[in-house]
Amino acid sequence: MNKRRTTWEWPVIIVVGAFFIVPMLAMTRFAMQRVPMSLLGRKTILSRWTIRGLMNTISDDKFQPAFLLSVRLGVVTVLVVLALLLPTVLWLHLRAVQWKMVAEVVSLLAYVVPPIALVVGVSGAYRDTVPWIVSSNYGLVPLYVILCLPFAYRTLDVGFAALDLHTLVNASRSLGASWQQTFRKVLIPNLWTAILTTSFLAFAVVMGEFAISSLLLKRTLPTYMVEAQGREPQGAMGVALLLLVLTTVLFMVLGRIQKKSPTSSSQEIRITP
Amino acid sequence: MSELDFPRLVSPDLRENVTGGPAGSRASSTSGHWSPSLVLPLVPYFLFVGLFLAMPTVVLFTKAFRPVTGSTTSAMVEAMSTSNRSSFIFSLKLSLYSAILGALIGFLFALAATRIERPRRLRNLVTGFSGVAANLGGIPLAFAFIASLGAQGLFTRILYHNGLDLYGNGFKIYDFWGIVVVYLYFQIPLMLLVMLPAIDGLRPTWREAAINIGASPFQYWRRVGLPILTPSLLGGTLLLFANAFSAYATAYALSSGGSRLVPVQIRFYLQGNTITGKGNLGYALAAWMVLILLFVMTGYLLLRRRAERWRTA
Repeated sequence: MNKRRTTWEWPVIIVVGAFFIVPMLAMTRFAMQRVPMSLLGRKTILSRWTIRGLMNTISDDKFQPAFLLSVRLGVVTVLVVLALLLPTVLWLHLRAVQWKMVAEVVSLLAYVVPPIALVVGVSGAYRDTVPWIVSSNYGLVPLYVILCLPFAYRTLDVGFAALDLHTLVNASRSLGASWQQTFRKVLIPNLWTAILTTSFLAFAVVMGEFAISSLLLKRTLPTYMVEAQGREPQGAMGVALLLLVLTTVLFMVLGRIQKKSPTSSSQEIRITP
Repeated sequence: MSELDFPRLVSPDLRENVTGGPAGSRASSTSGHWSPSLVLPLVPYFLFVGLFLAMPTVVLFTKAFRPVTGSTTSAMVEAMSTSNRSSFIFSLKLSLYSAILGALIGFLFALAATRIERPRRLRNLVTGFSGVAANLGGIPLAFAFIASLGAQGLFTRILYHNGLDLYGNGFKIYDFWGIVVVYLYFQIPLMLLVMLPAIDGLRPTWREAAINIGASPFQYWRRVGLPILTPSLLGGTLLLFANAFSAYATAYALSSGGSRLVPVQIRFYLQGNTITGKGNLGYALAAWMVLILLFVMTGYLLLRRRAERWRTA
């Protein structure tokens, strides 16, 4: 095809790019510069940058428990998602192919029930019978697993589909490996990318989840940030920035891993809760 | 699992089952669906979804159809007849605007990113960034926009010094257009991720064929490119709509809990339910949300299937 000169493409990229970068810059400034907005100008742009606000918040009594709770919930959610889905998707690909459609549609149902409706329904259904789900911190885990279900199912499904599963399992089993060994030494190493993608996404979702934990009055990192915003706006902004940086790094690492892997799964699409 | 299972794995009739061929001799199609050894490993998954997704949804709907204290009509009806209707209109309009704007800008962005060839890394950068931004949302996003477009925001200030007084003209970050702009931050990248595979699916040969028989680039897009992309575009718009409609955290943090959006209203009714006796109204609003999302997501899935028709290699 003959070469055209690009005309409209660069302006689009630049304008949209600016729309994405400006909020991040503004956030960084808000979190780290102690100059009132009305005094900000050419002369003051470089003065009084500090991370004291962030430090104050991080050393706050309530920050650490909230942060640790979110991390723990993230780890437990990842474990439950994998424990629930890995055997299921394996079985669906290996034997129960007739059930694949049903299982996939079921996994997508979480897109139809938004987090706010999910938490309302769960508290309506179990508040009187199984109060643990509503009252305990770890009662959040089942709800978070449901939130992760659509993308987790799809990522693992794509991962399994990329393998020549029957050959792998047959080879491993005919060499005398037990099912457990097959799972640990053959399947998991081959599915590493899909497993990591699922884990990272699920962890990121839990770290940022607000609707459910706020309605159930749990002190997770996002609910803490909203609460701290009133007391120490700069520190809260700093924590939010930190969370953003953490998420971005997580995704960059993920991108690297996916690029290296030969059976890289397709770009996953997920709905933000 | 015992070693006895092994011979079954290699039997050719199972292979046939797997590849979607005619059902093998092992089982007829009906008993094959429900035989215990087949279904048993799937029980945990379906049980989990049943307990924590299906059951809550059923309870949600039963409570939603009960009347509010002191009334005889079902809460479902009441949720649509009072001031809540304006909440729904607000939420639907907001989702629609952010979906259409996000879809248009996201499509242009995706198109631009695929057409620029010179720095090869640009496309990777854009996709990588979109993966992050589409998953962003919630509290940090709201904070970032308060810092840039809030009353004391950096960008607000820059515009003010250049003669555009946003807040003097009635703009508020927690009002309709403010929320639309903030939502675009995750809507545009999501649309890009939906559209990139579709745009990549447009084969160069189609374009060359069109040009060879005398079509202008405009005619190519009008008659070939856009018709093929239409299902993806519409499907993407529906996905964005659902995405905006179910979002909660960002709007909540922007408005400090005072937004008119439906999810924020649900919280209001459920927290006050012991005093006002209007708890069922909260369930009804949530039930209406589920119905609307069911409708939208069904449309999305149908369009996605239609869009994949052209993508066979």
